[in-house]
Amino acid sequence: MAILNLKSREIQCKIVYYGPGRSGKTTNLEFIHKHFTRQVAGKMISIDTHGDRTLFFDFLPMGLGKIKGCDIKAQLYTVPGQVQYRATRELVLKGVDGIVFVADSLKVRREKNMASLKDLHENLKKMGLDIRRVPLVFQYNKRDLDKQGFPLMPVEKMEHELNRQLKVPSFQASALTGEGVGPTLSNVMKLTLKYLQKEFKWAQETE
Amino acid sequence: MKFGEKVKALIKEAELYKSQGLLNEALDTYKKVEGVVEATENVKNKASFLRKIAAKIDALYEQIETEFQAPEPPKVSEDAQSVIKDMVSPEDPEAKGSDALASALALARFGQFDQAIEEFTQLLSRDELRLDAAKHIIWCWVQQGEAEKALGRVKQWMSGEVLSAEEMSSVRAHFEALVRQAGLENRVSTDKIQKDLEPESEIDDEEILDVDSTRFELPRGPRCSESVEIEVSFQAGKYLKMLVPKKEKQLVDSLQVGDHLNGMVFYSPVAIFSGTGYVSSKVTISAGPKKGDYSLEVKILRVQT
Repeated sequence: MAILNLKSREIQCKIVYYGPGRSGKTTNLEFIHKHFTRQVAGKMISIDTHGDRTLFFDFLPMGLGKIKGCDIKAQLYTVPGQVQYRATRELVLKGVDGIVFVADSLKVRREKNMASLKDLHENLKKMGLDIRRVPLVFQYNKRDLDKQGFPLMPVEKMEHELNRQLKVPSFQASALTGEGVGPTLSNVMKLTLKYLQKEFKWAQETE
Repeated sequence: MKFGEKVKALIKEAELYKSQGLLNEALDTYKKVEGVVEATENVKNKASFLRKIAAKIDALYEQIETEFQAPEPPKVSEDAQSVIKDMVSPEDPEAKGSDALASALALARFGQFDQAIEEFTQLLSRDELRLDAAKHIIWCWVQQGEAEKALGRVKQWMSGEVLSAEEMSSVRAHFEALVRQAGLENRVSTDKIQKDLEPESEIDDEEILDVDSTRFELPRGPRCSESVEIEVSFQAGKYLKMLVPKKEKQLVDSLQVGDHLNGMVFYSPVAIFSGTGYVSSKVTISAGPKKGDYSLEVKILRVQT
């Protein structure tokens, strides 16, 4: 849940990068940490295990400037994607304000994407949240692997399978090269702030 | 596609998946390679090629097994701990509205047990959080499979004045339930817990008169404070065994192993005396004519002279 401090005119929100294991959630945060230096407000914390799989989460604090006189701060988190870390995903997801679902474009990961989206849906439901109401964007990651000869899913097919009911913004990306990383982040922030404005009317009070 | 080209393409695909950390997908693709080679006749050096593919498959199986085993939660840096501490809000039902309890809980849930136990221990001095903190300390030890250490901690509390008798009995019941849930009964059985945690009696067996029945107040439940009298069916020194019919379930539920029954009255054929009893056992009789009834055991700790 976002923290709104009207006295110090500060809004702090939590954005979670969700998706199947190895879809590139940590790579997204690493790229942001490396290239968005002006907005990064602290150290990136990663807790991974051997084989560099995320064990608990990654964390990156960001300062995104002022909107209508309010300082906007965001805390970016990733969840561990592997099936066995369900409990950790639930813990990290608590209090979420906006979600980036990082889907893996590789054909062989098709079912994992769908299972992870179902898992997100169930976890949000447990927290009393409706996936259709939470600010959410899709990122179809690893599009660059096409050039290396990997069989990828066509974007239209991914849209159909993952996003035909939700109809949220989606972005093609390559977190490794950074393509699409910025637009994904700025879009989820835009949706999140719009949602928080609607929920808490914070922007109106500054006018 | 020709055989050679097909095999080359599949191996390239398998290696690409491996480079992405997609081990299961790499494994499946190598199995496809194996299938294609096996099904093709007149392959040059077929046996040696299949051996190489089999070695790749074995290595992948091994790697998958290692990665799938959930590793022990690592001890994380102080920076990471401070992020973890914010992961549980005081509104969490288990945090009881307390920031301090929420922080310690978050550390415990992320497997940072040493630090969590340290923080819970500090909360033992706060009346409103003491019982929860004590229960969570026990949980932390049991989660690590250290039931003996949990038992040691409970014993330490038994002999000190950190927890009240009521709190102690609740912690003890919680501990026994956790041990059962974790399947650690072979390490610390309920009998062992009961024996180890049983307080010493101040009197010798020879000093105790024969007791026909006893009267005491129920410590909790809907009949809390009600005075009940129960016949003693068997006595071994300071241990009194009583049979309670199954219809008196509410009475039995009002008592927990570990309860101290102050102001207990003991009726003997030659005298009436009072003292303190300790509920040392409570079991449901599982066979025979009394099946379903309860057997309650009370140890006389002291008598008033």
